[in-house]
Amino acid sequence: MSEKNYDKNSKKNVIQFALMLSVICSLLITGAASGLKDLQQENIKLDKKANILKAANLIKGNQKPPKDELLRLYQNHIKEVIVNQEGKPVEIQTDDVLNLYYYHTNNSIDGYILPISTKGLWGKIQGYLAFENDGQTVSGFSVFSHSETPGLGGEIENAWFRKNFKGKRILNSQNKFVSVGIAKGKVKNLPKNLQEHYVDGISGATLTGKYLSEGIKSTLTKYEPVSISFRQKKLKALEQ
Amino acid sequence: MANETTQYKDILLKGIWSENPVAYQVLGICSALAVTVKMSTAIVMSLALTLVTAFSSMIISSMRNKIPSNIRIIAELAVIASMVIVTDEILKAFFYDISKQLSIFVGLIITNCIVLGRAEAFALANNPLKSFVDGIANGLGYSLVLISVAFIRELLGAGACLGYSIFPNAVYDAGYQNMGLMLLAPGAFFIIGLLVWLKNSLSESNK
Repeated sequence: MSEKNYDKNSKKNVIQFALMLSVICSLLITGAASGLKDLQQENIKLDKKANILKAANLIKGNQKPPKDELLRLYQNHIKEVIVNQEGKPVEIQTDDVLNLYYYHTNNSIDGYILPISTKGLWGKIQGYLAFENDGQTVSGFSVFSHSETPGLGGEIENAWFRKNFKGKRILNSQNKFVSVGIAKGKVKNLPKNLQEHYVDGISGATLTGKYLSEGIKSTLTKYEPVSISFRQKKLKALEQ
Repeated sequence: MANETTQYKDILLKGIWSENPVAYQVLGICSALAVTVKMSTAIVMSLALTLVTAFSSMIISSMRNKIPSNIRIIAELAVIASMVIVTDEILKAFFYDISKQLSIFVGLIITNCIVLGRAEAFALANNPLKSFVDGIANGLGYSLVLISVAFIRELLGAGACLGYSIFPNAVYDAGYQNMGLMLLAPGAFFIIGLLVWLKNSLSESNK
């Protein structure tokens, strides 16, 4: 142990100790963060793909299939596309283009998936909203990352909440765009004409629902040209 | 030798039961409210906290003759924070799904008063091995409370245990409803209060 005459409270030793401790701690953290970065990045990428598949209902419920299965599903059914502001497919990734995904079986497009990125109560919510190829019916929803309170707002990532989106419509009976949103409370308490545009809210997470509804609406407005081209049945099969 | 063994046994018993960090020292209440909605998060949180407390107590205890007394809290926190961040990075790399569920709570272990409390109260005055055992004991004590609270909250609030539904649909058809209050913070307050009462009256009757 330490020598008898070591004075831990002398000025020199205090500064020495503080410096040593900071260097060791920062080395430890930097080492862990940079050493494990590749593994973490790969996990995040895989999780993104899993959530795109979840939105397209190619993965059911809360389960997550093994890696190979997941990559195979993604390879066979998802195509990443870039479109410009008017909804026309383009080749080059620039700042003002929109990213989305088609999901398809044997080259016929079943629908499209839009990335949702919005602020939540505590942080960013990122997820995916999938539509059928009629350009107005929601076919699925998934959340890829969020910092909402687990058990309350955090429930948005769970199957019971997500499955309510299926079949909701973003057009009203006059074919005007109205978006989909999260209701405050249960949908069955809303007026009849609004029920097909809302999903059940989460009790104790009203604000999460509010932010998510706003985020979905602004994303859908931005992607409206894509939805319109689907409504006009212009997109049916993947171009080879 | 026999004396040594009884000492360790004593440390373990104190941490888990008679001086339980949540019920007796009243530390770590905030996280006990936050992660006990579901059993699964409570279990991982217990595990993470037990390991962090044990190792940080051990490290701090091995430096106890070098840590200057006027910057000791900062030094303790630096050790604890580094431990927690490393744990978080490891979880993200190897147990991605669990780390996603725990989200911010792993980071919040840094502010969990049990870790700092044990470092101050025990590790600074005892040898590394004893401090390690003390960390484990307090971690287990915390786990005991956390998992009991989570079990009760999930059972009454969501009708489930570890995510599996417990009650058959017939029970719901007969008019039973899940207790929404249990999923909110006040539910945890009630349960922790009742558990502390139960624990203290049990200890009382032993005297």
